[in-house]
Amino acid sequence: MIEIRNLSLWYRRGHKVVDDVSTVFPNGRTIVICGPSGSGKSSFLRCINGLERFQEGEVLIDGKSLRARETDIHQVRARIGMVFQHFELYPHMTVLDNITLAPRKVLKQSAKDAVDRAMQLLTRVGIPENAAKFPGELSGGQQQRVAIARSLAMEPQAMLFDEPTSALDPEMIKEVLEVMIDLAGRGMTMVVVTHEMGFAREVADEVIFMDHGRFLERKSSTDFFERPDHPRTREFLSRILR
Amino acid sequence: MDWQVILRNLEFMVGGLALTAQLAAIALTGGLLWGILLGLGRLSRSPWIYYPATLYVHFFRSQPLILVIFWFYFLVPVITGKPLGTFVSTVIAFVTFEAAYFAEIVRAGVQSVPKGQVAAGYSCGLRYHQVQLYVILPQALRSMLPALTTQAVVIFQDTSLAYVIGLREFLRRVNLVDTREARSIELYCFAAFVYLVLCLLGSRVAHRFERRREVALP
Ligand SMILES: Nc1ncnc2c1ncn2[C@@H]1O[C@H](COP(=O)(O)OP(=O)(O)OP(=O)(O)O)[C@@H](O)[C@H]1O
Ligand SMILES: [Mg+2]
Repeated sequence: MIEIRNLSLWYRRGHKVVDDVSTVFPNGRTIVICGPSGSGKSSFLRCINGLERFQEGEVLIDGKSLRARETDIHQVRARIGMVFQHFELYPHMTVLDNITLAPRKVLKQSAKDAVDRAMQLLTRVGIPENAAKFPGELSGGQQQRVAIARSLAMEPQAMLFDEPTSALDPEMIKEVLEVMIDLAGRGMTMVVVTHEMGFAREVADEVIFMDHGRFLERKSSTDFFERPDHPRTREFLSRILR
Repeated sequence: MDWQVILRNLEFMVGGLALTAQLAAIALTGGLLWGILLGLGRLSRSPWIYYPATLYVHFFRSQPLILVIFWFYFLVPVITGKPLGTFVSTVIAFVTFEAAYFAEIVRAGVQSVPKGQVAAGYSCGLRYHQVQLYVILPQALRSMLPALTTQAVVIFQDTSLAYVIGLREFLRRVNLVDTREARSIELYCFAAFVYLVLCLLGSRVAHRFERRREVALP
Protein backbone atom coordinates (compact mmCIF):
# COMPACT_ATOMS: atom_id res chain seq x y z
CA MET A 1 0.00 0.00 0.00
CA ILE A 2 1.16 3.50 -0.82
CA GLU A 3 0.15 6.22 1.59
CA ILE A 4 0.78 9.90 1.09
CA ARG A 5 0.49 12.44 3.86
CA ASN A 6 0.45 16.20 3.34
CA LEU A 7 2.90 15.99 0.45
CA SER A 8 4.19 19.30 -0.90
CA LEU A 9 6.82 19.92 -3.54
CA TRP A 10 8.09 23.07 -5.14
CA TYR A 11 10.90 23.96 -7.54
CA ARG A 12 10.89 27.60 -6.53
CA ARG A 13 9.48 29.16 -3.40
CA GLY A 14 5.91 30.37 -3.46
CA HIS A 15 4.82 28.04 -6.27
CA LYS A 16 3.82 24.63 -4.96
CA VAL A 17 3.79 22.13 -7.79
CA VAL A 18 2.32 19.52 -5.44
CA ASP A 19 0.26 21.22 -2.76
CA ASP A 20 -0.53 19.38 0.45
CA VAL A 21 -1.72 16.13 -1.08
CA SER A 22 -2.87 13.28 1.19
CA THR A 23 -4.10 10.05 -0.28
CA VAL A 24 -3.90 6.26 -0.24
CA PHE A 25 -3.33 3.81 -3.09
CA PRO A 26 -4.52 0.40 -1.86
CA ASN A 27 -2.94 -2.81 -3.10
CA GLY A 28 -4.33 -4.36 -6.24
CA ARG A 29 -6.15 -1.26 -7.44
CA THR A 30 -5.77 0.74 -10.60
CA ILE A 31 -6.02 4.48 -10.03
CA VAL A 32 -6.01 6.99 -12.87
CA ILE A 33 -4.85 10.56 -12.34
CA CYS A 34 -5.88 13.13 -14.90
CA GLY A 35 -5.71 16.88 -15.07
CA PRO A 36 -4.55 19.76 -17.23
CA SER A 37 -0.97 20.17 -18.39
CA GLY A 38 1.30 21.58 -15.70
CA SER A 39 -0.97 20.56 -12.84
CA GLY A 40 1.83 18.55 -11.23
CA LYS A 41 0.90 14.98 -12.20
CA SER A 42 4.40 13.95 -13.28
CA SER A 43 6.00 15.64 -10.31
CA PHE A 44 3.60 13.83 -7.97
CA LEU A 45 4.44 10.44 -9.50
CA ARG A 46 8.15 11.15 -9.25
CA CYS A 47 7.78 11.84 -5.54
CA ILE A 48 6.31 8.40 -4.94
CA ASN A 49 9.51 6.60 -5.93
CA GLY A 50 11.85 9.26 -4.65
CA LEU A 51 12.96 10.57 -8.04
CA GLU A 52 11.98 14.02 -6.80
CA ARG A 53 12.98 15.23 -3.37
CA PHE A 54 9.91 16.81 -1.81
CA GLN A 55 10.06 19.44 0.88
CA GLU A 56 7.08 18.58 3.07
CA GLY A 57 5.03 15.56 4.05
CA GLU A 58 5.52 11.84 3.94
CA VAL A 59 5.36 9.05 1.41
CA LEU A 60 4.87 5.67 3.09
CA ILE A 61 5.38 2.42 1.22
CA ASP A 62 3.90 -0.43 3.27
CA GLY A 63 4.19 1.83 6.28
CA LYS A 64 7.83 2.73 5.73
CA SER A 65 8.61 6.39 5.14
CA LEU A 66 10.72 7.26 2.12
CA ARG A 67 12.43 9.93 4.13
CA ALA A 68 13.25 7.82 7.16
CA ARG A 69 16.94 7.50 7.87
CA GLU A 70 16.84 3.70 7.77
CA THR A 71 15.01 3.54 4.41
CA ASP A 72 17.20 2.73 1.43
CA ILE A 73 15.57 4.62 -1.40
CA HIS A 74 17.17 2.29 -3.95
CA GLN A 75 15.43 -0.71 -2.47
CA VAL A 76 12.12 1.13 -2.56
CA ARG A 77 12.60 2.06 -6.21
CA ALA A 78 13.51 -1.52 -7.06
CA ARG A 79 10.02 -2.52 -5.88
CA ILE A 80 8.12 0.28 -7.67
CA GLY A 81 8.19 0.21 -11.45
CA MET A 82 7.89 3.32 -13.54
CA VAL A 83 6.92 3.75 -17.18
CA PHE A 84 7.65 7.04 -18.92
CA GLN A 85 5.98 8.99 -21.68
CA HIS A 86 9.07 8.72 -23.90
CA PHE A 87 9.89 5.09 -22.96
CA GLU A 88 13.46 5.91 -21.89
CA LEU A 89 14.88 2.60 -23.03
CA TYR A 90 18.68 2.52 -23.00
CA PRO A 91 19.43 3.11 -26.70
CA HIS A 92 22.89 1.52 -26.60
CA MET A 93 21.64 -1.84 -25.33
CA THR A 94 19.58 -4.58 -26.93
CA VAL A 95 16.02 -5.12 -25.76
CA LEU A 96 17.19 -8.12 -23.76
CA ASP A 97 19.98 -6.17 -22.05
CA ASN A 98 17.54 -3.35 -21.29
CA ILE A 99 15.35 -5.80 -19.41
CA THR A 100 18.06 -7.83 -17.67
CA LEU A 101 20.35 -4.99 -16.53
CA ALA A 102 18.63 -4.13 -13.26
CA PRO A 103 17.68 -7.72 -12.30
CA ARG A 104 21.33 -8.71 -12.68
CA LYS A 105 22.86 -5.67 -11.02
CA VAL A 106 20.28 -4.99 -8.33
CA LEU A 107 18.62 -8.34 -7.64
CA LYS A 108 21.88 -10.21 -8.41
CA GLN A 109 20.10 -12.70 -10.64
CA SER A 110 22.29 -14.99 -12.72
CA ALA A 111 22.50 -14.08 -16.40
CA LYS A 112 20.53 -17.20 -17.29
CA ASP A 113 17.71 -16.57 -14.83
CA ALA A 114 17.47 -12.94 -15.92
CA VAL A 115 17.33 -13.88 -19.60
CA ASP A 116 14.73 -16.60 -19.00
CA ARG A 117 12.54 -14.20 -17.09
CA ALA A 118 13.04 -11.47 -19.71
CA MET A 119 11.94 -13.83 -22.48
CA GLN A 120 8.82 -14.78 -20.50
CA LEU A 121 7.97 -11.12 -20.10
CA LEU A 122 8.64 -10.31 -23.74
CA THR A 123 6.29 -13.14 -24.66
CA ARG A 124 3.70 -11.74 -22.29
CA VAL A 125 3.88 -8.28 -23.89
CA GLY A 126 3.77 -9.93 -27.29
CA ILE A 127 7.22 -9.25 -28.80
CA PRO A 128 9.59 -12.15 -28.02
CA GLU A 129 11.03 -11.96 -31.55
CA ASN A 130 12.57 -8.54 -30.85
CA ALA A 131 14.85 -9.57 -27.99
CA ALA A 132 18.09 -9.03 -29.90
CA LYS A 133 17.11 -5.73 -31.51
CA PHE A 134 18.05 -2.25 -30.39
CA PRO A 135 15.29 0.11 -29.20
CA GLY A 136 15.83 2.34 -32.24
CA GLU A 137 14.73 -0.51 -34.50
CA LEU A 138 11.32 -0.83 -32.81
CA SER A 139 8.08 1.09 -33.20
CA GLY A 140 6.95 3.35 -30.38
CA GLY A 141 4.35 0.87 -29.21
CA GLN A 142 6.89 -1.93 -29.15
CA GLN A 143 9.35 0.25 -27.25
CA GLN A 144 6.77 1.08 -24.62
CA ARG A 145 5.94 -2.60 -24.20
CA VAL A 146 9.63 -3.34 -23.70
CA ALA A 147 9.73 -0.56 -21.11
CA ILE A 148 6.83 -2.18 -19.26
CA ALA A 149 8.62 -5.55 -19.42
CA ARG A 150 11.76 -3.88 -18.08
CA SER A 151 9.84 -2.64 -15.06
CA LEU A 152 8.08 -5.96 -14.54
CA ALA A 153 11.41 -7.80 -14.53
CA MET A 154 12.05 -6.28 -11.11
CA GLU A 155 8.89 -7.98 -9.77
CA PRO A 156 7.50 -4.66 -8.55
CA GLN A 157 4.72 -4.41 -5.98
CA ALA A 158 3.34 -1.34 -7.75
CA MET A 159 3.68 0.36 -11.12
CA LEU A 160 3.59 4.05 -11.93
CA PHE A 161 2.72 5.13 -15.46
CA ASP A 162 3.34 8.69 -16.63
CA GLU A 163 1.31 9.25 -19.80
CA PRO A 164 2.43 5.92 -21.27
CA THR A 165 0.52 6.37 -24.53
CA SER A 166 0.65 10.09 -25.25
CA ALA A 167 3.79 9.88 -27.39
CA LEU A 168 2.30 7.09 -29.52
CA ASP A 169 0.51 7.08 -32.84
CA PRO A 170 -3.16 6.14 -32.45
CA GLU A 171 -2.75 2.66 -33.90
CA MET A 172 -0.14 1.79 -31.29
CA ILE A 173 -2.02 3.07 -28.26
CA LYS A 174 -4.23 0.01 -28.19
CA GLU A 175 -1.38 -2.51 -27.98
CA VAL A 176 0.10 -0.73 -24.97
CA LEU A 177 -3.27 -0.33 -23.26
CA GLU A 178 -3.92 -4.05 -23.72
CA VAL A 179 -0.73 -4.87 -21.82
CA MET A 180 -1.82 -2.50 -19.04
CA ILE A 181 -5.30 -3.98 -18.91
CA ASP A 182 -3.75 -7.44 -18.60
CA LEU A 183 -1.60 -6.18 -15.73
CA ALA A 184 -4.56 -4.67 -13.94
CA GLY A 185 -6.39 -7.97 -14.35
CA ARG A 186 -3.52 -9.77 -12.62
CA GLY A 187 -3.99 -7.55 -9.59
CA MET A 188 -1.05 -5.20 -10.02
CA THR A 189 -1.24 -1.98 -8.02
CA MET A 190 -1.15 0.76 -10.65
CA VAL A 191 -1.13 4.55 -10.57
CA VAL A 192 -1.65 5.80 -14.10
CA VAL A 193 -1.40 9.38 -15.29
CA THR A 194 -3.22 9.41 -18.60
CA HIS A 195 -5.63 11.23 -20.84
CA GLU A 196 -7.05 7.95 -22.14
CA MET A 197 -10.51 8.38 -20.67
CA GLY A 198 -11.65 5.11 -22.22
CA PHE A 199 -9.02 3.28 -20.16
CA ALA A 200 -10.02 5.25 -17.05
CA ARG A 201 -13.68 4.37 -17.50
CA GLU A 202 -13.17 0.67 -18.28
CA VAL A 203 -10.16 -0.32 -16.22
CA ALA A 204 -9.60 2.11 -13.36
CA ASP A 205 -11.14 1.46 -9.98
CA GLU A 206 -10.92 5.13 -9.13
CA VAL A 207 -10.14 8.35 -10.95
CA ILE A 208 -8.47 11.43 -9.49
CA PHE A 209 -8.65 14.91 -10.95
CA MET A 210 -5.56 16.99 -10.23
CA ASP A 211 -5.33 20.73 -10.72
CA HIS A 212 -2.76 23.26 -9.50
CA GLY A 213 -0.98 20.65 -7.41
CA ARG A 214 -4.10 19.50 -5.58
CA PHE A 215 -6.39 16.50 -5.80
CA LEU A 216 -9.69 18.25 -6.43
CA GLU A 217 -11.75 15.12 -6.83
CA ARG A 218 -11.45 11.39 -6.32
CA LYS A 219 -14.26 9.03 -7.20
CA SER A 220 -14.99 5.54 -8.42
CA SER A 221 -14.62 5.63 -12.17
CA THR A 222 -18.37 5.39 -12.80
CA ASP A 223 -19.13 8.27 -10.45
CA PHE A 224 -16.25 10.30 -11.78
CA PHE A 225 -17.65 10.30 -15.30
CA GLU A 226 -21.37 10.22 -14.43
CA ARG A 227 -21.48 12.53 -11.43
CA PRO A 228 -18.43 14.79 -11.19
CA ASP A 229 -18.84 17.31 -8.35
CA HIS A 230 -16.27 19.93 -9.01
CA PRO A 231 -16.90 22.53 -11.74
CA ARG A 232 -13.23 22.30 -12.76
CA THR A 233 -13.60 18.54 -13.26
CA ARG A 234 -16.71 19.03 -15.38
CA GLU A 235 -14.98 21.67 -17.47
CA PHE A 236 -11.94 19.41 -17.93
CA LEU A 237 -14.09 16.42 -18.87
CA SER A 238 -16.17 18.37 -21.33
CA ARG A 239 -12.99 19.56 -23.00
CA ILE A 240 -11.29 16.20 -23.13
CA LEU A 241 -14.34 14.14 -24.10
CA ARG A 242 -15.36 16.70 -26.73
CA MET B 1 71.27 18.77 -47.75
CA ASP B 2 72.19 15.39 -46.40
CA TRP B 3 69.12 13.23 -45.97
CA GLN B 4 71.35 10.28 -45.18
CA VAL B 5 71.57 11.62 -41.63
CA ILE B 6 68.02 10.42 -41.06
CA LEU B 7 68.75 6.88 -42.20
CA ARG B 8 71.92 6.73 -40.16
CA ASN B 9 70.09 7.64 -36.98
CA LEU B 10 66.70 6.21 -37.79
CA GLU B 11 66.77 3.41 -35.29
CA PHE B 12 67.80 5.68 -32.44
CA MET B 13 65.17 8.29 -33.21
CA VAL B 14 62.29 5.93 -33.90
CA GLY B 15 63.22 4.14 -30.68
CA GLY B 16 62.09 7.29 -28.90
CA LEU B 17 58.63 6.88 -30.43
CA ALA B 18 58.07 3.86 -28.21
CA LEU B 19 58.48 6.06 -25.17
CA THR B 20 56.33 8.75 -26.77
CA ALA B 21 53.59 6.22 -27.47
CA GLN B 22 53.79 4.80 -23.97
CA LEU B 23 53.55 8.23 -22.42
CA ALA B 24 50.66 9.23 -24.69
CA ALA B 25 48.78 5.98 -23.98
CA ILE B 26 49.11 6.29 -20.22
CA ALA B 27 48.26 9.99 -20.28
CA LEU B 28 45.21 9.23 -22.40
CA THR B 29 43.76 6.37 -20.34
CA GLY B 30 44.82 7.74 -16.95
CA GLY B 31 43.69 11.25 -17.84
CA LEU B 32 40.36 9.97 -19.15
CA LEU B 33 39.61 7.83 -16.09
CA TRP B 34 40.52 10.60 -13.68
CA GLY B 35 38.73 13.06 -15.95
CA ILE B 36 35.52 10.99 -15.80
CA LEU B 37 35.55 11.20 -12.01
CA LEU B 38 36.28 14.93 -12.12
CA GLY B 39 33.66 15.53 -14.80
CA LEU B 40 31.02 13.73 -12.74
CA GLY B 41 32.22 15.74 -9.74
CA ARG B 42 31.57 18.93 -11.72
CA LEU B 43 27.96 17.78 -12.09
CA SER B 44 27.54 16.75 -8.47
CA ARG B 45 24.82 18.29 -6.34
CA SER B 46 26.99 17.98 -3.26
CA PRO B 47 29.07 21.13 -2.67
CA TRP B 48 31.75 18.95 -1.04
CA ILE B 49 32.33 17.30 -4.39
CA TYR B 50 31.37 20.06 -6.80
CA TYR B 51 33.69 22.79 -5.50
CA PRO B 52 36.92 20.78 -5.17
CA ALA B 53 36.38 19.30 -8.64
CA THR B 54 35.63 22.70 -10.13
CA LEU B 55 38.64 24.29 -8.46
CA TYR B 56 40.88 21.52 -9.73
CA VAL B 57 39.66 21.82 -13.31
CA HIS B 58 39.95 25.61 -13.40
CA PHE B 59 43.37 25.56 -11.78
CA PHE B 60 44.99 23.11 -14.16
CA ARG B 61 43.37 24.63 -17.21
CA SER B 62 44.98 27.93 -16.25
CA GLN B 63 48.47 26.43 -16.04
CA PRO B 64 50.87 25.80 -18.93
CA LEU B 65 51.66 22.09 -19.20
CA ILE B 66 55.37 22.74 -19.14
CA LEU B 67 55.05 24.28 -15.70
CA VAL B 68 53.12 21.27 -14.42
CA ILE B 69 55.86 19.01 -15.77
CA PHE B 70 58.53 21.10 -13.97
CA TRP B 71 56.42 21.18 -10.87
CA PHE B 72 56.21 17.42 -10.53
CA TYR B 73 59.85 16.98 -11.49
CA PHE B 74 61.36 19.50 -9.09
CA LEU B 75 58.87 20.00 -6.30
CA VAL B 76 57.52 16.54 -5.59
CA PRO B 77 60.95 15.14 -4.61
CA VAL B 78 61.34 18.07 -2.23
CA ILE B 79 58.00 17.29 -0.60
CA THR B 80 58.25 13.51 -0.53
CA GLY B 81 61.99 13.36 0.06
CA LYS B 82 62.78 11.07 -2.85
CA PRO B 83 63.00 11.65 -6.60
CA LEU B 84 60.28 10.14 -8.76
CA GLY B 85 62.33 9.58 -11.88
CA THR B 86 61.80 11.37 -15.17
CA PHE B 87 59.26 9.00 -16.65
CA VAL B 88 57.08 8.61 -13.57
CA SER B 89 57.02 12.32 -12.83
CA THR B 90 56.11 13.06 -16.45
CA VAL B 91 53.31 10.51 -16.40
CA ILE B 92 51.87 11.98 -13.21
CA ALA B 93 52.12 15.48 -14.64
CA PHE B 94 50.32 14.46 -17.82
CA VAL B 95 47.53 12.55 -16.11
CA THR B 96 47.00 15.38 -13.63
CA PHE B 97 46.95 18.00 -16.35
CA GLU B 98 45.02 16.24 -19.09
CA ALA B 99 42.32 15.09 -16.64
CA ALA B 100 41.25 18.71 -16.30
CA TYR B 101 40.57 18.89 -20.03
CA PHE B 102 38.92 15.49 -20.15
CA ALA B 103 36.71 16.52 -17.23
CA GLU B 104 35.13 19.27 -19.32
CA ILE B 105 34.66 16.94 -22.27
CA VAL B 106 33.04 14.35 -20.00
CA ARG B 107 30.82 16.95 -18.39
CA ALA B 108 29.50 18.10 -21.76
CA GLY B 109 29.05 14.49 -22.86
CA VAL B 110 27.08 13.52 -19.76
CA GLN B 111 24.90 16.61 -20.12
CA SER B 112 24.10 15.63 -23.69
CA VAL B 113 22.36 12.44 -22.47
CA PRO B 114 18.63 13.07 -21.95
CA LYS B 115 17.62 13.49 -18.29
CA GLY B 116 15.00 10.76 -18.62
CA GLN B 117 17.74 8.17 -18.92
CA VAL B 118 18.89 8.90 -15.38
CA ALA B 119 15.32 8.67 -14.13
CA ALA B 120 14.85 5.37 -15.97
CA GLY B 121 17.99 3.91 -14.40
CA TYR B 122 17.09 5.03 -10.91
CA SER B 123 13.49 3.87 -11.24
CA CYS B 124 14.76 0.32 -11.78
CA GLY B 125 16.63 0.49 -8.50
CA LEU B 126 20.12 1.09 -9.90
CA ARG B 127 22.48 3.11 -7.75
CA TYR B 128 24.35 6.24 -8.80
CA HIS B 129 27.53 4.46 -9.91
CA GLN B 130 25.52 1.82 -11.79
CA VAL B 131 23.44 4.44 -13.58
CA GLN B 132 26.58 6.28 -14.63
CA LEU B 133 28.56 3.17 -15.56
CA TYR B 134 25.93 1.24 -17.50
CA VAL B 135 23.47 3.87 -18.71
CA ILE B 136 24.94 7.37 -18.92
CA LEU B 137 28.67 7.06 -19.65
CA PRO B 138 28.34 4.65 -22.61
CA GLN B 139 25.98 7.10 -24.27
CA ALA B 140 28.05 10.11 -23.23
CA LEU B 141 31.25 8.56 -24.59
CA ARG B 142 29.60 8.24 -27.96
CA SER B 143 28.93 11.95 -28.24
CA MET B 144 32.35 12.71 -26.74
CA LEU B 145 34.27 10.74 -29.34
CA PRO B 146 35.16 13.62 -31.68
CA ALA B 147 36.38 15.79 -28.79
CA LEU B 148 38.28 12.85 -27.32
CA THR B 149 40.03 12.25 -30.63
CA THR B 150 41.13 15.87 -30.81
CA GLN B 151 42.40 15.71 -27.25
CA ALA B 152 44.28 12.48 -27.96
CA VAL B 153 46.12 14.15 -30.83
CA VAL B 154 46.95 17.11 -28.61
CA ILE B 155 48.31 14.77 -25.94
CA PHE B 156 50.40 12.97 -28.50
CA GLN B 157 52.00 16.24 -29.55
CA ASP B 158 52.32 17.49 -25.98
CA THR B 159 54.45 14.49 -25.01
CA SER B 160 57.34 16.27 -26.74
CA LEU B 161 57.31 18.82 -23.90
CA ALA B 162 58.78 16.15 -21.65
CA TYR B 163 62.10 16.89 -23.30
CA VAL B 164 62.53 19.83 -20.89
CA ILE B 165 63.29 17.44 -18.07
CA GLY B 166 65.43 15.25 -20.29
CA LEU B 167 63.04 12.43 -21.06
CA ARG B 168 64.43 10.80 -24.17
CA GLU B 169 61.25 10.62 -26.17
CA PHE B 170 61.15 11.04 -29.92
CA LEU B 171 61.72 14.79 -30.26
CA ARG B 172 64.41 14.78 -27.61
CA ARG B 173 66.30 12.14 -29.58
CA VAL B 174 65.97 14.08 -32.81
CA ASN B 175 67.37 17.00 -30.90
CA LEU B 176 70.31 14.90 -29.63
CA VAL B 177 71.15 13.73 -33.13
CA ASP B 178 71.08 17.33 -34.31
CA THR B 179 73.54 18.35 -31.61
CA ARG B 180 75.90 15.69 -32.87
CA GLU B 181 75.39 16.02 -36.61
CA ALA B 182 74.32 19.65 -37.02
CA ARG B 183 71.65 18.85 -39.63
CA SER B 184 68.72 20.82 -38.22
CA ILE B 185 66.68 21.32 -41.37
CA GLU B 186 66.69 17.69 -42.45
CA LEU B 187 66.10 16.38 -38.94
CA TYR B 188 63.27 18.72 -38.01
CA CYS B 189 61.59 18.18 -41.37
CA PHE B 190 61.72 14.50 -40.59
CA ALA B 191 60.24 15.08 -37.12
CA ALA B 192 57.40 17.13 -38.60
CA PHE B 193 56.74 14.39 -41.14
CA VAL B 194 56.57 11.72 -38.44
CA TYR B 195 54.09 13.72 -36.33
CA LEU B 196 51.98 14.40 -39.42
CA VAL B 197 51.82 10.76 -40.44
CA LEU B 198 51.06 9.49 -36.95
CA CYS B 199 48.35 12.06 -36.29
CA LEU B 200 46.71 11.39 -39.63
CA LEU B 201 46.80 7.69 -38.91
CA GLY B 202 45.39 8.26 -35.44
CA SER B 203 42.48 10.35 -36.61
CA ARG B 204 41.69 7.88 -39.37
CA VAL B 205 41.50 5.06 -36.87
CA ALA B 206 39.30 7.17 -34.61
CA HIS B 207 37.07 8.07 -37.52
CA ARG B 208 36.70 4.42 -38.48
CA PHE B 209 35.86 3.58 -34.88
CA GLU B 210 33.24 6.32 -34.77
CA ARG B 211 31.60 5.13 -37.97
CA ARG B 212 31.55 1.53 -36.83
CA ARG B 213 29.78 2.54 -33.63
CA GLU B 214 27.21 4.48 -35.59
CA VAL B 215 26.44 1.42 -37.63
CA ALA B 216 26.15 -0.75 -34.55
CA LEU B 217 23.91 1.73 -32.74
CA PRO B 218 20.96 2.90 -34.83
N1 LIG C 1 12.59 20.09 -12.93
C1 LIG C 1 11.75 21.16 -12.86
N2 LIG C 1 12.23 22.37 -12.53
C2 LIG C 1 11.41 23.45 -12.45
N3 LIG C 1 10.09 23.41 -12.69
C3 LIG C 1 9.55 22.24 -13.03
C4 LIG C 1 10.35 21.05 -13.14
N4 LIG C 1 9.54 20.02 -13.49
C5 LIG C 1 8.30 20.55 -13.60
N5 LIG C 1 8.29 21.86 -13.32
C6 LIG C 1 7.09 22.73 -13.30
O1 LIG C 1 6.19 22.19 -12.39
C7 LIG C 1 4.87 22.27 -12.87
C8 LIG C 1 4.23 20.92 -12.89
O2 LIG C 1 4.91 20.10 -13.84
P1 LIG C 1 4.54 18.58 -14.11
O3 LIG C 1 5.42 18.11 -15.18
O4 LIG C 1 4.53 17.85 -12.83
O5 LIG C 1 3.04 18.72 -14.64
P2 LIG C 1 2.15 17.67 -15.43
O6 LIG C 1 0.83 17.70 -14.78
O7 LIG C 1 2.85 16.37 -15.49
O8 LIG C 1 2.03 18.30 -16.86
P3 LIG C 1 2.01 17.59 -18.28
O9 LIG C 1 0.59 17.14 -18.51
O10 LIG C 1 2.39 18.69 -19.22
O11 LIG C 1 2.98 16.47 -18.27
C9 LIG C 1 4.94 22.93 -14.23
O12 LIG C 1 4.64 24.29 -14.07
C10 LIG C 1 6.38 22.76 -14.64
O13 LIG C 1 6.81 23.84 -15.43
MG1 LIG D 1 3.67 15.20 -17.06
